[in-house]
Amino acid sequence: MEGGCVKIASGSVMDAMDGMQDESDAVSLCSLFAGSESFGIDTRKIREVLGKRDLQRVPMAPAYIGGVVPYRGEVLTTVNLRALLGMGEHSAASCVLVLEDDEVAERFGLMVDEVGGVVTVNRRMLEVNPCTLEARGKWLFDGAYKMQTGLMVQLDPAKLRPSRLAETGLFKQGGTGAMDASTDSR
Amino acid sequence: MDDLTKEFIAESQEGLDRMERCLTELEVRPDDGELVGEIFRSVHTIKGTTGFLGFDRLEKLAHTGEHLLGSLRDGKLAVTSELISGLLSLLDGLRDILTLIEETGGEGTRADDEDSELIALLTALNGAAPPPVEAAHHEEAEVHAAATPAAGAASAAAMGGGDKTLRIDVDVLNRMMNLVGELVLTRNQMLQSNAEAANFPELARRLDSVTADLRETVMQARMQPVGNLFGKFPRLVRDLARTCGREVRIEFSGQETGLDKSLLEAIKDPLTHAVRNSVDHGIEAPHVRVLAGKSAEGCVKLRAFHQGGSVVIEVADDGAGIGIERVLAKAVERNLVTAEQAAGMSEREALQLIFLPGFSTAAAVTNVSGRGVGMDVVRANVEKVGGSVEVESKMGQGTTLRLRVPLTLAIVPALVVRSGGQSFALPQTALVELVYVPKREAQSAVEKIGAAELYRLRERLLPMVWLDRLLALETQCTDEAHGFYLAVLEAEGCRYGLVVDDLLAPEEIVVKPLSSVLREIGLFSGATVLGNGTLALILDIAATAARAGVKPMEEEVEEVNAAEATAADASDISFMVFEDRAKERTALPLDVVERIESVPLTQIEYAGGRALLQYRGDLLPLSDDGNVLAEMEAGDQTGDETLVTVLICANAGAGGRHRIGMVVRRVLDVSTGRMLEKDAATDGMELALVKEKLTMVHHQFGAGAVTAWKEVA
Repeated sequence: MEGGCVKIASGSVMDAMDGMQDESDAVSLCSLFAGSESFGIDTRKIREVLGKRDLQRVPMAPAYIGGVVPYRGEVLTTVNLRALLGMGEHSAASCVLVLEDDEVAERFGLMVDEVGGVVTVNRRMLEVNPCTLEARGKWLFDGAYKMQTGLMVQLDPAKLRPSRLAETGLFKQGGTGAMDASTDSR
Repeated sequence: MDDLTKEFIAESQEGLDRMERCLTELEVRPDDGELVGEIFRSVHTIKGTTGFLGFDRLEKLAHTGEHLLGSLRDGKLAVTSELISGLLSLLDGLRDILTLIEETGGEGTRADDEDSELIALLTALNGAAPPPVEAAHHEEAEVHAAATPAAGAASAAAMGGGDKTLRIDVDVLNRMMNLVGELVLTRNQMLQSNAEAANFPELARRLDSVTADLRETVMQARMQPVGNLFGKFPRLVRDLARTCGREVRIEFSGQETGLDKSLLEAIKDPLTHAVRNSVDHGIEAPHVRVLAGKSAEGCVKLRAFHQGGSVVIEVADDGAGIGIERVLAKAVERNLVTAEQAAGMSEREALQLIFLPGFSTAAAVTNVSGRGVGMDVVRANVEKVGGSVEVESKMGQGTTLRLRVPLTLAIVPALVVRSGGQSFALPQTALVELVYVPKREAQSAVEKIGAAELYRLRERLLPMVWLDRLLALETQCTDEAHGFYLAVLEAEGCRYGLVVDDLLAPEEIVVKPLSSVLREIGLFSGATVLGNGTLALILDIAATAARAGVKPMEEEVEEVNAAEATAADASDISFMVFEDRAKERTALPLDVVERIESVPLTQIEYAGGRALLQYRGDLLPLSDDGNVLAEMEAGDQTGDETLVTVLICANAGAGGRHRIGMVVRRVLDVSTGRMLEKDAATDGMELALVKEKLTMVHHQFGAGAVTAWKEVA
């Protein structure tokens, strides 16, 4: 699972802004971090960044569920990105982002280590997933942007939706593995 | 389906509901021209609207109906029971087509959808009556019989359709809008102000009151009068009475009582079942009634009213009542209880048997009842929404079934507990009692059969379920300075002790739904935000029992009955022992004590020389035999808050259930004891031996209770 973020062609770092030719190609991404890796999510899909929150764990829930958090009169189910990537538990409090899938009008939370800032990238500079990426990575990642600091992997919120994660069945076994890892790390 | 059609369907269904009510009334008052006019209008509206929406089939049927109603309105026809039946079939026909349109978008032209038969019948009624031709009569009966099951389906679908839309009083909506405006203004002010500002507390207070008002208004909008549900019963009772050969009148009261829409839906089926039972099993055939000295016409009364935070709906009939012997014989025959158990049962216990699955006293399986799907389903459905069912019956005088449901599902009283470092909410409705097991007794209190752990609660073995183990929570190795708590829970017939680490406050919690992924776990019915801002999961008591393997129903009941039977044999009774007069031990049978409350002395009020306590919205008379209150008032000079111990007792005496409060010095014990035979030495007092000590049984509960026990023995 550590191969989740494959390091490719890190030499050809290029400023995404330089390649910007057309206004319509510009996408603003919110950068976020899990472990040592950085990810980006389209800002239009993010409803709110809640910041550091204590989550209420849900016993017997799949491992990729980080817990529940109150949000505007709703109880928000939160997906733990670290668990999806098979990483151990984060030592400090995690940040929670509120994402919304417009198609099904379902809101859910995403639990990450840290939220960075907004970066603007050129849509056309997106590198596709490498063919060597294993199935779970292929599901989660949407390609990567080459940034000065390294690669920023794009995530698709629609695929992070808890009910879709449950449907794929990809994270069932990995789930228990991740849980074992998290208990080990404690 | 376009909006116009949707609106048409909703309106037509309302019109038909109105028509149904009018039709059943018309049968009672055939000369009421207004009723005929009203019925005519509903059908006319449907006919008019279908014309331009292009539903030909519906229009054709409505047209025939309108024609017939026209003759009726003009006085060419007299109201006969055949005519009413024909019009009711018309109603069913119209409803069926409407349902079809709602489901498929079209009115359908399949062969079995043809209503030529019905049209022929209506035309025959128009031309041939009066007097009704014998042939038409037969045909009518046939059509009517065929229409009955369809009617059930149609009205169910109609209710289903009503699910999506809700009519709200414009006033209520305006008030809601005003409150939202107020909320926005308050928010603006709060944003401009800051926490240190002088007016901040006032703003917070206003926010509080606006929120409370808004909540109340929204709740009010969700409230629907129970009358909406009652409306369909006259027809049901009429049809049933004809099928069963009974004469039945239905009466309502309290139709305006409001109930949450979702709850109204939930109790619809149980209530329908109860009314059916009353007509089919309760009310006797006319000649039997006359022989018994009653009027030939039976009466089913539906009554709705508020009582202490819940809504009670009563279905009362003046029929034969439930024959205890028959209930017992049937229960034995169906192997629900053994003959010995049956012999030892009190009337009340025996009545409870009708709630067991597979129980039915109907002599024959009829179209209406006797299929063994019965009161157990009624009870299960009502309990599902946090309600309860009671039954009362007097031989020869009738049966009363009482459904008690909470006002709303969205806010429930719950007890918050902690286990494995997490908070969980247990709905109060399922909570029977709480037991604290101190550390030093923790080892000895848990008894084992194999791996199963049991707790001996008043000589009954209670399966123990450890919440932290069940949920695979990390057991926190605390210093274990205190023991554990056992929450005795009961749901869907399962009774078990849930072991938790700690009890937090009881709270009124607002239930929030969980996402589908978390619902699939199947153990939590929702989540809630607690007063301190943290989340707690609401435990589904029945699902938890199932997960832990706690077996519900019969075995449990039999075990209980067996235990009670042995108790009765030895004439052992559970008593609550307390001290009211100084140095005297007084006891009450444990079943009459509902709760023990600690009340500040200042809350006790006096009226006409009697002490009263406002308790859960009721006025509770206090009985104070030991003059505890007077002594406490005298001693209360210090200004500290003095707490009085009050036993809340249910007094199931004459005139229904009354509660009284009993002021006592202190509660001593709960224990089993034996009544002493009355003789000269007891001097008319009711005495009992509890734990080998002489104890007086409280006079108000002594005599009546003893006779009840003698019956048991």
